[in-house]
Amino acid sequence: MSTLTLEDILSKTSDLPTMPAATVQVLRELDREESSAQSVATYMQQDPALSARVLRLANSAFYGTPTPIMRVGDAIMLLGNINVRNLCLVASTYAWMTKPLPGYDLGPGKLWEHSFAVAVGAELIANETRSAEKGHAFTAGLLHNLGKLAMSVWLENKLQAIQLLAERDDLSFDETERRVFGFDHAQVGAHLGEKWNLPKPLVDAMRFHHNPDACDPTSSIVDCVHVADYLASSLGYGLGGDGLRYYLAEGSLTRLKLNADILEGLCEPFTEEYDRFMKLFHEKDAA
Amino acid sequence: MVSAPVLVGMAEIHVLRDSGLLSCLGLGSCIGIVMLDPETGIAGMAHLMLPESFSKKPTDKPGKFVNTGIQELIGQLERAGADRHRLRVAYSGGAQVFKFGSEAGLKLDLGARNASAVKSLLDELGLDTVAIDVGGHTGRTMTFTVETGIVTVRTVTQGESVLCQLR
Repeated sequence: MSTLTLEDILSKTSDLPTMPAATVQVLRELDREESSAQSVATYMQQDPALSARVLRLANSAFYGTPTPIMRVGDAIMLLGNINVRNLCLVASTYAWMTKPLPGYDLGPGKLWEHSFAVAVGAELIANETRSAEKGHAFTAGLLHNLGKLAMSVWLENKLQAIQLLAERDDLSFDETERRVFGFDHAQVGAHLGEKWNLPKPLVDAMRFHHNPDACDPTSSIVDCVHVADYLASSLGYGLGGDGLRYYLAEGSLTRLKLNADILEGLCEPFTEEYDRFMKLFHEKDAA
Repeated sequence: MVSAPVLVGMAEIHVLRDSGLLSCLGLGSCIGIVMLDPETGIAGMAHLMLPESFSKKPTDKPGKFVNTGIQELIGQLERAGADRHRLRVAYSGGAQVFKFGSEAGLKLDLGARNASAVKSLLDELGLDTVAIDVGGHTGRTMTFTVETGIVTVRTVTQGESVLCQLR
């Protein structure tokens, strides 16, 4: 058993991601009941790059406005709170989520691909099941694997041995991480999320995305992220060296009132939504 | 000089003649399938995601589904000059999540269902299947060298190994 602590992992890992202050303020303002497009714009304008991206999306062919949108507040009104929230998250996380993570055998862009797929899938499931607010499900999906960013360096050159241990003892990958390090990437992510002062539902999604039944009380957002993670991994979006060595918790399916037929029926719209969102939000397309 | 592989992304189909590398990265429950006509040297690879389309609407990505993807791959090979009766086939992928709790899981096991759908269709079409590597819980990368006909599969635990030679 390792003597490392969660604090060790975070304090000894250089280059940990940070969330821009303007993004945190915009997300909080979007959640405030009395917020308006103008009040959100006030915070967004602290970050010129973010403002430019919102304006660019509002003026893209996708929205086809007859006259150019010049003001950030007008762009926010056109796009709607959910799209603004998602765009902020995508813009703020893209740079560090596209880095390669050799500890998980994830090449450049692969953590991003997986996280984005889980975000899109969680939003789709939240919408289909009317179980959680779509924007929150997207955010939780995008951030669920944050812990891998911190854990990757500790797994480098150990991944094969960890997988062989998992095979030998018939363990899931997160169980094996806990056996080797004393904790898994989900716990590390939740610890980081708490340091960022993220809302509890998002921290719960990070902590329990492989073990949703352990979340007390159970959470629809956690369930949506868990099932979306299953879909995204199965379909191969950003699949790493940990592969599919994770449990699918039937408790999540039961709570979301999803059965095998409904879930399989979601696969096709999931891939279509992923393609649509990629066109809408992807850095290269939006640049 | 070793040429860079043509990466066959999800739902994509690529056809090459005589030389080059084709590769499917990060196959989970998806299937990477390769076909070669040894006489003409025309080869192709598809990255299939789901057993079959459920919606009735036509898809702009036939490679997404086993039933439409295999037919499209054969069609592209034939249009390039291959003969379907000479095609030699190998496929890989079809992994599944770690454990399911009940019989519902059997239906949720996309990997096994993809693999089963591929086998059924290839049998129905009477194609010569040379090698199959499916199942398990790890992701796979499948690479095909057109010149030699060698198909390799890489996993984290096993490294890279030769699955078969199609020539």
